[in-house]
Amino acid sequence: MIDKIILGHNQFFGVNHLEAQAGNEREAYFSEAARIMEIVNFSFDQGVRGMMMSTHERAFVVAGEIQKDARLQRELGIYLLVPYVAKYIKQANEKGLVNIVKDALSGTSLQDKLGMFWRGGMGLLTRDFKKILTAMIDFEVAPFASLNLRAIFLHDVMTDLALGWEVPEVFQLYAEHVQGKYGAIPAFCTKNLGRLMRLLGRAGIDNPLIMASINKLGYQVNPSRAAFEQTLREHRLQLLAMSTLAAGYLKPGEAYEYLFSLPNIAAVVVGVSKKTHARETFSIIRHYQSAGKPREPLPAATHEMLA
Amino acid sequence: MLNVAVVGIGKMGLLHAGIMNALQGVRLCAIVDTSKFLLGFAQSLKQEVEIYEDFQKMLDQSKPDAAVLATPVFLHVPMANACLQRGIPFFLEKPLSLTSREAEALVAGVEKRGLTTMVGYMMRYVETFAKAKQLLQSGALGELITFQATIYVSQLFKTGKGWRYNKQESGGGVVIGQATHLIDLLRWYFGPVSRVSAHTRNWYSREVEDFAHAHFEFASGLTGWFDSSWSVRHHRLLEVSLTVHAANGNLIVCDDYVKLYLDKAAAGFPAGWTNFMKPDLFEGVEIDLGGPQYTRQDSAFVAAVKNGTRLESDVRNAYEVQRIVDAIYASAAGHGAPVSL
Repeated sequence: MIDKIILGHNQFFGVNHLEAQAGNEREAYFSEAARIMEIVNFSFDQGVRGMMMSTHERAFVVAGEIQKDARLQRELGIYLLVPYVAKYIKQANEKGLVNIVKDALSGTSLQDKLGMFWRGGMGLLTRDFKKILTAMIDFEVAPFASLNLRAIFLHDVMTDLALGWEVPEVFQLYAEHVQGKYGAIPAFCTKNLGRLMRLLGRAGIDNPLIMASINKLGYQVNPSRAAFEQTLREHRLQLLAMSTLAAGYLKPGEAYEYLFSLPNIAAVVVGVSKKTHARETFSIIRHYQSAGKPREPLPAATHEMLA
Repeated sequence: MLNVAVVGIGKMGLLHAGIMNALQGVRLCAIVDTSKFLLGFAQSLKQEVEIYEDFQKMLDQSKPDAAVLATPVFLHVPMANACLQRGIPFFLEKPLSLTSREAEALVAGVEKRGLTTMVGYMMRYVETFAKAKQLLQSGALGELITFQATIYVSQLFKTGKGWRYNKQESGGGVVIGQATHLIDLLRWYFGPVSRVSAHTRNWYSREVEDFAHAHFEFASGLTGWFDSSWSVRHHRLLEVSLTVHAANGNLIVCDDYVKLYLDKAAAGFPAGWTNFMKPDLFEGVEIDLGGPQYTRQDSAFVAAVKNGTRLESDVRNAYEVQRIVDAIYASAAGHGAPVSL
């Protein structure tokens, strides 16, 4: 069972899908870890027990802060997103893919074995690509391994690359490794839900945990909102919904009313950067999440926000 | 079924191979790279794809219906020529060539043979920049007067490794490697450029420029400038921004939105602000891998190859972009002295 509300992390690291400029400003504000921890602690006190984290450099600092706090380390479930793709894209521009792998693995026990790949032929490599993939996962997860890792998500760029190349073996390998080594739920982030569900079916992965964008506007929903909704109806999965406000474009009321009218919505990830905003957002989500059951009345401030 | 080969499986090659493999009516038939490591990795993932270390051998043995060339710039023209000789339509990652002169014969050959080609100036397929093109074409703004444009990313803050920072292999730095996206947009929006003056600065890189500033005069009379760098802070992603000042208002476009301001209502748009945010403009794609613009671009290429038609963003267009790049470098070498095209 995963947490129903998961605190997002993009706002802390300058990701803003509506306005890059605003994201850049927020990134400067959250360059102090204390400001991030203030929101984390506040959300925790509001009953939010899950937090998304990418393996961004700043997240290492946040991970350190969480470790210092026994309560957070024990009770805050971490939903880790690997790898931090933006970093690798920059590195790929700078030094090429081969050097990325070489550098990432330098100092690991795998390095000596890998030396053979660069010297030797492809036969060796072909047999051992699994070792490279799992070593890369371990490299990414290492700074967070002592946290309460509830799920480890494969970043959508990686998931969708394996999807485009059509290699279900990557998903099998990933799932086995994450479950076996970390005891965490192997999960996938994607921009192509329908296609992913078909391939995961081929990989023998049942009832997967998947993070994908879904909102009433159909923003970042591929190939269309209608097709996405059909996948939700026809497949067994647990969806962690992201971009539910279409990058801040939708009002929370209409956004969550739509979201929780859909089947298989297990949880929602939400980015908040202010306490008042956090309190109101959590309360609106809980209001619509409990659809079907008697709903608690919304606080006055929330009504104002929905208006 | 269209058989497509992908040459060079670095970042962009991996991406195009993934998209091509996923598009309906397309089969990824072969991949080529000189890195045994990347080839082995790719083969281990995808056993049914033919792999080659030798590009020419691949063309002759695999006989693809089209090729995606995602190799370092110095290989572009020789590889494109090899495709041309065999009549194989090709998609080439931008930029076209090290210099415009290097590509002259290629462009002439492609046009003589009527071969379908495309060069990867994908910004045209980003929703906001495509919308801005429509708004500019609508004539709502009246006569265009001047513009300012920037293209920035926080990428390089120490000496870079690899072919991009070696002038022999890349042709130059941030102008050819990155600002060409913006130069392509400016040409697409405003037509031919008649004169440029430019300044560049190396700071982190030894051989190539990290900063560039250029002033443009277009044949239409429009003037304006761009500023570009891959070494500025606080730009997590590559960000393009353009403001156009015109007789009846102004237009602002970036990756996230298009904002049109009009003094008087025109071409169906009211006076005052009309805003289009990216979510307004979004349309889903068959597969999104690294951004929907890449899929739209690859789909357009595939459709043109199947129909044997020409694309706007072809080698001729890229050649014109390259001529502007050459003029920028010539002007910068002369401390900003204007260079006519």
